[in-house]
Amino acid sequence: MKDLVRILIAPLVWLAAFSAVYGLHGVICGFAVDGTVFGLSLARVLLVTAYVLAILVQVVLLWALYQDRFSSASVFVNFVGRASGWVGVIAAVWTMLPAVLTTYCG
Amino acid sequence: MNVVTRHRRLDAIWASERGFRGWFSTVNHTDLGRMFLVTSFFFFIIGGILAMLIRAQLATPDSAFAGPDIYNQIFTMHGTIMMFLFAIPAFEGLAIYLLPKILGTRDLAFPRLTAYGYWCYVFGGSMLLVAMLLGIAPDSGWFMYTPLSNAIYSPGINTDFWLIGITFVEISAIAAAAEICVSILKFRAPGMTLAKMPIFAWYALVTALMILTGFPPLILGSILLEVERAFGFPFFQVELGGDSLLWQHLFWLFGHPEVYIIFLPAAGIVSTVLPVMCRTTLIGYGWIVAAIVALAFLSFGLWVHHMFTTGIPHMGLAFFSAASTLVAVPTAVQLFAWIGTMWKGRPELHLPMLHIMGFFATFVIGGLTGVMVAMVPFNWQVHDTAFITAHLHYVLFGGFVFPVFAGIYYWLPHVSGRKRFFRLGEFAFWLIFVGFHVTFFAMHWVGLLGQRRRIDTYTPEDGWTLINLISSVGSFVLSIGIAMVLLDVILHVLSSRKIRRNPWQAGTLDWAMMTPPPSYNFASLPHVDSRHPLADNPALPVRLAQGHGYLGTPRADWRETLMVDAATGRPEAHVIYPANTRLPILMSAVTGIFFLGLLLKTYWMVPIGMVGVAGLALRWVWMLGRRDDLGAQHVGQGVILPHASATDRSPGWWGSLFLMFANATLFGCLLFGFAFLWTVAPGWPPLVRFEPSFIELGVGVAAALGTALALRVAMAAVRNARATLPALGIALTGAVVFGACCAVMLWRAPPPVDHAYAATLFVLGSYGLFHAVLIVLMTGHLIARVWQGYTSPARRSEFAVVSLWGDYVAVIGSLVLLVGHLSGLSL
Ligand code: HEM
Ligand SMILES: [Cu+2]
Repeated sequence: MKDLVRILIAPLVWLAAFSAVYGLHGVICGFAVDGTVFGLSLARVLLVTAYVLAILVQVVLLWALYQDRFSSASVFVNFVGRASGWVGVIAAVWTMLPAVLTTYCG
Repeated sequence: MNVVTRHRRLDAIWASERGFRGWFSTVNHTDLGRMFLVTSFFFFIIGGILAMLIRAQLATPDSAFAGPDIYNQIFTMHGTIMMFLFAIPAFEGLAIYLLPKILGTRDLAFPRLTAYGYWCYVFGGSMLLVAMLLGIAPDSGWFMYTPLSNAIYSPGINTDFWLIGITFVEISAIAAAAEICVSILKFRAPGMTLAKMPIFAWYALVTALMILTGFPPLILGSILLEVERAFGFPFFQVELGGDSLLWQHLFWLFGHPEVYIIFLPAAGIVSTVLPVMCRTTLIGYGWIVAAIVALAFLSFGLWVHHMFTTGIPHMGLAFFSAASTLVAVPTAVQLFAWIGTMWKGRPELHLPMLHIMGFFATFVIGGLTGVMVAMVPFNWQVHDTAFITAHLHYVLFGGFVFPVFAGIYYWLPHVSGRKRFFRLGEFAFWLIFVGFHVTFFAMHWVGLLGQRRRIDTYTPEDGWTLINLISSVGSFVLSIGIAMVLLDVILHVLSSRKIRRNPWQAGTLDWAMMTPPPSYNFASLPHVDSRHPLADNPALPVRLAQGHGYLGTPRADWRETLMVDAATGRPEAHVIYPANTRLPILMSAVTGIFFLGLLLKTYWMVPIGMVGVAGLALRWVWMLGRRDDLGAQHVGQGVILPHASATDRSPGWWGSLFLMFANATLFGCLLFGFAFLWTVAPGWPPLVRFEPSFIELGVGVAAALGTALALRVAMAAVRNARATLPALGIALTGAVVFGACCAVMLWRAPPPVDHAYAATLFVLGSYGLFHAVLIVLMTGHLIARVWQGYTSPARRSEFAVVSLWGDYVAVIGSLVLLVGHLSGLSL
């Protein structure tokens, strides 16, 4: 079971983060969140923070998957786990990139 | 004991009843796998005939072949049958037939559940067929969009057939998926670590996990829509706080993963068959496993790409456009692994290989048009045109039907033990390949010229006449090809040239047995220490038949097998399966009474169905009990194992775990729906709210948590041979109190027909109440067990199962009450 977790955890966390960021975006547009912090729009700050957090979490996960302490006895499981750790990082950076780039409501 | 005596003894224990009566009582995976496959191909033919009707209608302008009403039914039923009654059951059939054999064991984890799933599929599918014969088939398209499908715009019974029939069929998908997960993780040949699993098992495992996550959103959506249609709860009605976009979200949350659920097993066939055709082994096993895991997860982050034209904000569109392009990468990884495999080996152009080449050519084109439609501006141009229909058939036909044909021709000698006689198959392949591409290439073209999908006719002035005619001619060539495949299969079964064992020289365990396979698969279970056990040790089949593996000596009338550790494949427990029984077909018939009552609005049948199912379910588990301890058993190779009921992690525990996973997804979708309506739908926050009560909330949560705790105490007590009844009594009381708190919530909530808010609360409360009843039944069962002397430290596994459910209900129960009561606070 632990081995399965090693394989599934990174993309699972990506899916959760992706849904959460999409949800946050929904909430921002649904409740018409406006206002500013430090001269930047609050909505943008929230979205970019969430984006950066999501990437950070993935990076930490990837780091952990390379540590002996969290590794499996099986070479194969370690390989697949780390590969899916990379998938998590790449997916987080790429799929949530619009948080930085596009207009948010409209 | 010599080989023949062993065979006779084992066959007497494992065989199904002779003749057609055996169909109704068999629980054997070989029988049920074949029945699944035959039934799914029956539906493929029906779906194919409907496709011919579509193409006949569209062949000429101003066609009067079918009116719009009938045409709507035809394409809806074509899509529905192909997706739900052909593709998914065909995967289930293949997995059920193949997995125990390729994993080196004797059956799946829950033989009776296999049969129950099959009959649910047959009964649910029959409902849809009856609707079609009566001319009242569903007609709102295979994705049943609201508001078109609600009671105002689709008043008749047509849509109800879809919602109820499909939900009935989904039960079989969920049952099969949970069973496949447990079987792959716990029922393998000893020694088979995760890294040594045949690649097909990885594909099946990931697919099954995806079914458990992907189908609950649709089941929930269908329940909500049916409740809206029948009782007027306005989940999708904008005037009363609902939102038709909620349906689209729930549908595509299922619908997009669905296409990968269809594609992955087909890719699994390719990864299994291709190396054998190339006389080599698969390149990049680890990469492929990582790719399919990635594919599975990414595919759950794409669903909004079906909703690009619904007016979602730009950023939302961009998220899903980006995710949709990314999903092409893991697919490409697999393609490169396959190309590398061909490079490394010496491809031989046998018939399965021909179909694999057809798959490559077609699927790659479908993948490319897929990336095209993932681009939002292009998507806006071609949305709802024949271009989309063409794309989806390149993916579905190319990505599923070709590989399945490859699989059929590869495993046909295994199923029948015979050799292919005529060369019909090669000819059929070319007809299918050419016919397919003519049909659907033309549809891309006419789609770009503006022909919309789902139109029953067009005029000569549209300028689409010639292209449509070409497409229709192509489709008839295609169907002649498919008919020839069927003829070929029938001739194959009738011809009488026996094959020698392992005609393809494959290395996997499915070929390490007699063909056609005996009822028990292996006379003794192998110990596996490589990914290609048969290639490494060609003498293996003989050694196994001589009883040199595990469980080589039949005992009593036990259907014995082993349970192993999920990661390492170390033998863990001894399992005795239940034997042939008609209980599964009976239980699915009674399940049918429940659904039929809903469909025909004869609501008195519904409680009868529910009580019947509960009663039969109790009988189902009761039959597994024993009144004496079995003690540890010698299973061969000097290994001694406890019986599974002397452990806390029995097959039932694992099955519950995966079922709960699907259940939790359903619950999560319900919460998502609530949050979605609250933030997006107009008419929120609702004017009339539920009046929160912190006493009810506190008592309910405490009762739910107390139940879980008491069940844990009972579990510890039975393990240490102490009295369990006090703890079980407390658990029972707790569950009743928790149920009462849910009932009070339902009672006090505003009328559910007034606003989607109250309607959602109603569903939440009912969900809690349902689980309270479940715990009452389960705890009652344990009490009866203790009373009748069925429990001891060596017969304790049911306590762990019930305790697991208790934990689950503590979590969801607390959430139900919290969400319900807190939603009443106006801040
Ligand atoms: C046997 C050859 C097949 C032919 C000639 C064919 C033809 C067609 C055509 C012409 C349509 C468009 C109907 C319209 O828009 O008016 C259609 C729709 C569809 N087909 Fe097929 N098809 C075939 C096989 C399949 C298979 C194997 C699958 C799935 C595994 C499939 C799934 C669908 C779906 C989901 C739709 C959409 C239905 C809807 O719009 O509600 N088809 N098919
Ligand atoms: Cu999609």
